[in-house]
Amino acid sequence: MDASHDQRAKTKATSGPIWPRVPANFVRAMLAGHSALGLAFAALIYLVCFSGSVAVFTQEFDRWERPEGPVLNAVSPEAVDAAVQATLAGNPKAHDLLVRLPTPDHPRLTVHDDATPGGERTYVADHTGRLVGEARTPWTEFQTELHTVLHLPRAWGGFVVGLTGVALLSSLISGVLSHPRVFKDAFAFRWGGSKRLQEADLHNRISVWGLPFHLAVSLTGAFLGLTTIIVGVLALATFKGDASKAYALFRGPTVKDDARPAAKVIDVGSALAAVSTRHPEARPTYIYVEHPGERGQHATVNLATDGRLSRGETIVLDGESRILGEVGYERGALGFRVLSAMTPLHFGWFGGWPVKIAYFLLGLGLTAVTASGVAIWLARRLDKGRPAPGWERLWVAFAWSQPLAYALSALISLLSAHPAPVATWGLATLATCAAAACATPDRLSVVLRRISAALLALVAIAHGALQGRLMVDPMGWVVDAALLATALLLALTTLSRRPPPVSRQA
Amino acid sequence: MSALWVLAMTPLPLCGAVLLKRAWTGPSPERPWLILGGWSLMALAVGVSIPLMGPARGPAAILAVGSAAVLALVAAGVERRSARAKATRELAPEPSDRRRVAWRGWLRGFLAGPLAGVAALGCGLAVAICGPGEIQTRMVIGGLIVPFLWAGGMAWTLSDDKILRAFAVLASVAGLTLGAAFLKGAM
Repeated sequence: MDASHDQRAKTKATSGPIWPRVPANFVRAMLAGHSALGLAFAALIYLVCFSGSVAVFTQEFDRWERPEGPVLNAVSPEAVDAAVQATLAGNPKAHDLLVRLPTPDHPRLTVHDDATPGGERTYVADHTGRLVGEARTPWTEFQTELHTVLHLPRAWGGFVVGLTGVALLSSLISGVLSHPRVFKDAFAFRWGGSKRLQEADLHNRISVWGLPFHLAVSLTGAFLGLTTIIVGVLALATFKGDASKAYALFRGPTVKDDARPAAKVIDVGSALAAVSTRHPEARPTYIYVEHPGERGQHATVNLATDGRLSRGETIVLDGESRILGEVGYERGALGFRVLSAMTPLHFGWFGGWPVKIAYFLLGLGLTAVTASGVAIWLARRLDKGRPAPGWERLWVAFAWSQPLAYALSALISLLSAHPAPVATWGLATLATCAAAACATPDRLSVVLRRISAALLALVAIAHGALQGRLMVDPMGWVVDAALLATALLLALTTLSRRPPPVSRQA
Repeated sequence: MSALWVLAMTPLPLCGAVLLKRAWTGPSPERPWLILGGWSLMALAVGVSIPLMGPARGPAAILAVGSAAVLALVAAGVERRSARAKATRELAPEPSDRRRVAWRGWLRGFLAGPLAGVAALGCGLAVAICGPGEIQTRMVIGGLIVPFLWAGGMAWTLSDDKILRAFAVLASVAGLTLGAAFLKGAM
């Protein structure tokens, strides 16, 4: 290398950064807002992120909870019609029926009957359409509802979860703006030494590299949660408060209600055949049959096309199984296509198992970011001589209460004839938080992780023992193995002999 | 098949991250090229995913799986520090120390919550009602704007020391947009 080249290299190497320097006062102000918002919503964000990470595998848990099958890869239209007729024979007053058809993620044929509020049942059918049993998946329903509405009344729960999504999105914005060394420290991950800097490294690295995912899930989650309010206000401004008119814009052709009895019940098999003839490239995923047996009976068929980020197209058929039209979720205006992409994009249900695993890990990463954010605040207080040991114990107890409460509710659901997963989860969470009064944070963390690991292992063992002989669906074994592996990993994290990091001014 | 495509493409963002890591580890004459190469590989992964997995699904899948893979790379490079060794780097930036005044705290909470929310709803409504395009598209885009603007308003009001300025701006935006939306909606 010659001297001129050396000089040029030196000049380049020592020249200033191309990224504009962020004023220190701006960073400090942003950090103050970031800190206040993060602390105010920490518990809610943590709960929503943790439950969301688990909810990625909703279909897998559904299969795990009822692994006796029958496992179906495809089903004939005649079998679907037979399943519908069998359900109606058992309950002729059924008002609406939701028929889920076999898909790669959920290889079952089920019919959900919502005749009486609170008395809804879901039946499983075999390849001929014969109902072979009832699909009871209380734990899967528990974990889904916890993420979507926190087991609150639907409108309120959706709003609280949506508001949590807004708070998370706001934290992302203020977090990015208060990170002046975003590139310089992009790969710096230091563990040990100062507790505060260790937690800051963990917080910032996951936040920066997971940013596309964090933005996607917080924006879609906030939108999905706030839909009721947004549509309500829009209806107030344009439809004199009639929200149903706003929703009708996304429902396609409508069929007028007519409660008089029909000559014959809608033939779902013919409806499926008509839809498949018009859209041979797409696969029906579910059928919603409204008012069966009435003159106003009609069906809505959902069609999924491979390769699309979409919940699928919706086709509306009348009581004679004639196609009335489609909504346009896959081929319509941009708004339809964006709306249709929301749910799969939020839950990671669009790219097979690698995307699901990535969503699960990134979701847990976001959960860890929330936990570390509070840990940074606690360490900062300690460094400034204003420790908050009570809050520290409570936060550690709350953070580790969730794996424990989830595992305990799953175990009780498996063992009990009348499971109450919500009550179990709530009591376990409260009891764990109460335990904060009688142990140090480090001790609490280790004990709760060990109990969670033991419970997770027990869930897998109990499931294998109870369902082993009936387990037709291999997903049952896969989930059991994953639970055992998680239990093992969690237990291993408690075996570290490394001394805990110290909190001090570096 | 999509599972295989996204896995096959994962080495691209991973290699891009390796180049960026080399670039940002310390100054060197190759740094601009390493940065260019790193980001180019990441962009290439997103670009390649479009014909292979679809224009929306491909980028979404590779961003998720690529992010997880790069985080694994970051975790693999963890530097263990001794609790007794004195840290050599500077402290993380400190949040600004504000005077604790109760009414300012409540007002800030009101601005970040209800008022920023109403202003964001107003903007979303204005787009949904007054914007161009089909009604469904306007509604969805307007709806998506609401959480984003609310979040932005929250971040701003919680960090801006001049809360009366924030109050004035948010109240004006809410009044104007909601007024326009209801006026147009009622016509």
